[in-house]
Amino acid sequence: MSGAAAIRAALGRLREAGRALRARSAESVLAALGAVLEEWREPASPPRRSLAEELPKAAGFSRPVVERGLALALGGWSGAALRALYERELGPLADAAPPRRLASGFDNAALLLAGAIPSASLATLVAPLALRCAALAKPAARDPLTAPLLRASLARADAGLAAALEIAAFDARDDALLDAFLEADCAVATGSDATVSRVAARVAPPRRLVAYGHRVSFAALGPAALAGAALADACARLALDVALWDQLGCLSPVSLLVAGDARAARAAAESLAAALGRIEAELPRGEVSPAAAAGIAHERAEAELRAAARGRAALFGGPSWTVVAEEDARPRPAPLHRFVRVAPVSDAAGVLAALAPYAPHLAALGTAGFAGGAPDLARGAAALGASRVCPLGAMQAPPLAWCHDGQGVLLPLARWTDVELEG
Amino acid sequence: MPRVSRPDPARADLDRRVRAFMREPWREDEARFEALALELFAFQFEHCAPYARFCEGRGCTPHGVRSWREIPAVPTGAFKELALRSFPAERTCKVFRTSGTSAGRRGALYLDTLEVYEASLLPSFERFVLPDLAPDARASFAMLAPSPGEAGESSLSHMFGVLVARRGGPRSEFFVRGGELAEERLSQALRRAERDGEALVLCGAAFAFVHLLERLAARGERVALPPGSRAMETGGFKGRARELGQEPLYAEIEARLGIPPARIVNQYGMTELGSQFHDTVLREPEAPRRKLGPPWTRVRLLDPETGEEAAPGAAGMLTIVDLANTGSVLAVQTADLGRRLGDGFEVLGRAAGAEERGCSIAADAMLGAGAR
Repeated sequence: MSGAAAIRAALGRLREAGRALRARSAESVLAALGAVLEEWREPASPPRRSLAEELPKAAGFSRPVVERGLALALGGWSGAALRALYERELGPLADAAPPRRLASGFDNAALLLAGAIPSASLATLVAPLALRCAALAKPAARDPLTAPLLRASLARADAGLAAALEIAAFDARDDALLDAFLEADCAVATGSDATVSRVAARVAPPRRLVAYGHRVSFAALGPAALAGAALADACARLALDVALWDQLGCLSPVSLLVAGDARAARAAAESLAAALGRIEAELPRGEVSPAAAAGIAHERAEAELRAAARGRAALFGGPSWTVVAEEDARPRPAPLHRFVRVAPVSDAAGVLAALAPYAPHLAALGTAGFAGGAPDLARGAAALGASRVCPLGAMQAPPLAWCHDGQGVLLPLARWTDVELEG
Repeated sequence: MPRVSRPDPARADLDRRVRAFMREPWREDEARFEALALELFAFQFEHCAPYARFCEGRGCTPHGVRSWREIPAVPTGAFKELALRSFPAERTCKVFRTSGTSAGRRGALYLDTLEVYEASLLPSFERFVLPDLAPDARASFAMLAPSPGEAGESSLSHMFGVLVARRGGPRSEFFVRGGELAEERLSQALRRAERDGEALVLCGAAFAFVHLLERLAARGERVALPPGSRAMETGGFKGRARELGQEPLYAEIEARLGIPPARIVNQYGMTELGSQFHDTVLREPEAPRRKLGPPWTRVRLLDPETGEEAAPGAAGMLTIVDLANTGSVLAVQTADLGRRLGDGFEVLGRAAGAEERGCSIAADAMLGAGAR
């Protein structure tokens, strides 16, 4: 697809496809979408095989990272999970009582996809379809695969649904093309804050904007996971969270906050470095751009200098990972690509204090070793704006119903009607 | 009253010889650079304890280092964490800090003298931004920055202050006051220059130019500054709401101010360095645009994976050895990527890594780290 006219024509076709979709029952659309999700859960399915083979070239991940990442992320994304998500956010599907509140989708939506993680794009693509809203998707440069693969899956499952998803591959830096794309009733923008701001400036009421900007995640170790087998187990799980997608997702932890003293943080750093070293054989890191490599080299040298100068920081670096045991939890650069800072904090309150500077951008907090699951820590993280608190090892496996950026999955795309008719 | 120690005689002698290098006609002198760099390294190794420990950790001491290329470079980020000075703290007479937000820490360059700093900046600027002006001629500067009096910790404002004092005409002025662009006053100055045919030298950070252009657009104003006018822009857009690539920025400067890209010079500099690097467009208009530095600097482009010299034509981390850094550390490793271009280099910046991050982001970018 190229040119503003072609984009507008696609939106026109999708408007009709969306109306046709809404003439169907929610049950039938969810059933078809559920069948598609079941296909994507199967490692030997066409989309999973294609992603395993082709995404490494497009995104720079190693094949084992793609395979393991998708297995973990999509494992729970079943048809039943989709149905449960729908009912949780929009109300019961099979309700004999007269409706009091109705949710409906827009005729069409424009989806600006970002990053290189297929499961994230898949969730963004499925959401409008679940609301029977047709979608025009612009794939991200590093994942040109997920959207067309989903369309192929839809075509195998349900021709009407397939007609409700089109792909628009264009240069979003072109203002005219972006403006045409954003003429959809609803725009979903994912990516950098700069991208989201640029889109937001172009979407005026009554069109709706659903925005997912920059996010960052953290991990925290509590007192019960600071030594012995518990520490080793927690760091092994954290290493998986870091290694999957090479730490490039918004759910990838950039720092580990250790509720203990400097010695405990150092022990955690050593344990994490060992775990990252072990996992490299199983899940090799992918390509690193010169710019990213420069960032890593710079931060390694900076940590090396502080370690030499003050002796209170320590650098543990392998060929493809870096762990810095920090003297404190002050904000420091996070170059990603398996670069983790480990800092001591006093306790759960110290974890929250360390997270506070990141509050506007906080995504997830992965934890281990806090008594009783640390409900106060979860409440505190929620108050700061985190949209997910989960165990270490599960950070890259958000449920389909994860309220992405605290907004919900389907809710931001729904139009609501209150029904107040008598009898 | 704090007791201020006497200046170290060895350091004073080094400063004197470096300043002499800067005053002399511009020519490469490898032997002289090598000798001064090694001597300065030995002095800094002795007087800057954190740096000495860093060097020792890498197995580098003045006894073993035989070439300026072997001098360990400190990363710019370290200036946020440590006081990297090669003189007693009580002798500090000036601190330049990088810009930043309340959450992000600011890097600091401590100076015990401004003489070397100021001796370095003028020859470079004159050579690459004012190459066609007679040595005693003065220019009308329009500085898109606060004055040094208002922004005492800004190395950029200090530099602009020195330029105005040494080479500025009576109409030279700073147009950022109280953190705001003095829009009306600047508009008048631009129109007056256009009317009187008086060439202007506009200087500022790139984001300041973007802000000016936005305001001119909002006012529906365009001026055609007379021939001889030029612009010098520096720095990036870190932490700023709107970013603009160099090509569109230069196109907008031409459209709104009448200064063609061939008369716009990008300066590559940073708070942590005493010297600057400039585009060659005004001095060598027929040659490819590239950056050159003064003879008392050297630029290395290092492969970030191996730490070795990057292959010809390949991107490498910019690492700079600058004799003007007599009071701190002379070898500085940046996080910027560059590429060798003939006898100079071009800066590729860090933007190349942005795409791969998707919704994730380097935490420093999120906290709005700033340039100078």
